[in-house]
Amino acid sequence: MNEKRELWIGWWTLVVFYNLYGLLFFVITRTQPPPRPALEPSEIVRWFADRHDGLLYGYAIVFIVGGATAIMNATLAYTMRRMSVSRAFAYAYLLIYALATLPGMLLMGIACTVGAMRPDRDPALMSWLYDFAFLSFEGTMGVFLIGSLIWMVAVLLDQNGVFPKWFGYLNLCNALTEVVVAPAWIFQSGVFAWNGAIAWWINMGVFVVYTIVFLTLIRRLILREDFGTGPLPELRTDAAA
Amino acid sequence: MQQRETEAGRSIPGQPDMWAFVLFESVVFTSYFTVYLVRRTQSPALFLQAQAKLSLAVGVFNTLVLLASSWSIARCVQAARERSFSAASTNALLTAFFGLVFLVSKVREWASEIGKGYGFTADEFFSFYYFLTAIHFLHLLIGGIALGIVVRELRSPARRSLELIETCATYWHTVDYLWVLIFALLYVVR
Amino acid sequence: MNVGFERRLIVVWLVLTAMTISQLGVSSIHGRGVLTPNAVVTSSAIVIALVKVRIVFREFMDVRHAPALLCRLTDAWVVVTGVVLLGAYFVGNALARG
Repeated sequence: MNEKRELWIGWWTLVVFYNLYGLLFFVITRTQPPPRPALEPSEIVRWFADRHDGLLYGYAIVFIVGGATAIMNATLAYTMRRMSVSRAFAYAYLLIYALATLPGMLLMGIACTVGAMRPDRDPALMSWLYDFAFLSFEGTMGVFLIGSLIWMVAVLLDQNGVFPKWFGYLNLCNALTEVVVAPAWIFQSGVFAWNGAIAWWINMGVFVVYTIVFLTLIRRLILREDFGTGPLPELRTDAAA
Repeated sequence: MQQRETEAGRSIPGQPDMWAFVLFESVVFTSYFTVYLVRRTQSPALFLQAQAKLSLAVGVFNTLVLLASSWSIARCVQAARERSFSAASTNALLTAFFGLVFLVSKVREWASEIGKGYGFTADEFFSFYYFLTAIHFLHLLIGGIALGIVVRELRSPARRSLELIETCATYWHTVDYLWVLIFALLYVVR
Repeated sequence: MNVGFERRLIVVWLVLTAMTISQLGVSSIHGRGVLTPNAVVTSSAIVIALVKVRIVFREFMDVRHAPALLCRLTDAWVVVTGVVLLGAYFVGNALARG
């Protein structure tokens, strides 16, 4: 299993990072689930104050380990290299997801730490930072939408059986959830706001399912990997689970 | 051509993968419908008032058109199974025609409502209306791609994968039945 | 295409069409100008829609000839969706009143 060691490092990085991400965003910084868009500036100031330490320490950790996304994206792109489709898919995916760390993580982190750093800042500025943080995080879809579609097309065209076809279709679901988030730019309250039942909660449900699925499928891929260029062998039932 | 035979003569139409996707998408749509119904019960007067601005007749027309498209794609699949490929092609194109009619009708309906001032942000009912019909419209456009694949498959004797044709048909039917539910929830429910 | 199959498909489409047009009637009975919520109209709209969906599953999507698992899954989806939607409506109403 020595040749697979690098792949396992990639996989474990994915697993650890996603769990850490959940911990940092939901527990330490408490920026997820997202707060209401329609808060008054004074309430926003209080929101930052309530989370002062969590924001600073939590995002400090995010900034330090953020580079791990390179390993994660490489692992995901690798799955496409193993497919029978053109290598261009893997490259396109890598490019687009490298860009994705900005709206997916960094911009929100920067906006929140800037806000937390000087609690006596003008409330109007704090409001600006608040909107910027959440709109950049929840509302940006372009990169993730296209990325999911790239993976979808690759899976559906692949003849090496790297992933089951239903995973290709699940990528379509994930891509469509990016579209569902779009109204968050327009609504400050209700189910389509950035914290809404439809724009956030149901979306998050689909995203969690999608993430657990691809983590499981990549693990199976590594177990099946034969480092060839042809169809991937099926998982042997006697192989170590 | 992979027909999954599990009992004597019984097989799953198309890829089982597509069925998994179809059921999953249907669950996601059901969650949207649930949110809509709950919100509706909280402001019944507002929803009713806004809903009255929709044309039930247009809704019925759109539903009939999509039901007809399901009929024609079902004929297409059957023709393909019997290897009557030109009949299958005709039915596939007929399905595309019905899809186009729905598309045009929907866009005109939206244009007419927006023209009267009932836009996405007009009120809560209309935000649900545009959201549900738009996300369905997107699925319809994807269905157009599926139909394109069917037409392409049927054209050349080298292709004509029955599994692929059935898979695309399964997807198309989903576009139809999701609309059946959307129609009931947006146009009929009181 | 054999005549039996053709005929069945047309009948199915006619039934679905009739059910759709009947929904025009249900709303009219309670008047267009009368703006009152109506649980009967709502419930029947949802149930009729789900019956139509099941017909689409069984006849158009060929679940009738599919393995038992698919029949059970699609039927289960229809039932669960009905329960969830009707439940949402009635629970929502109760919450609104309370």
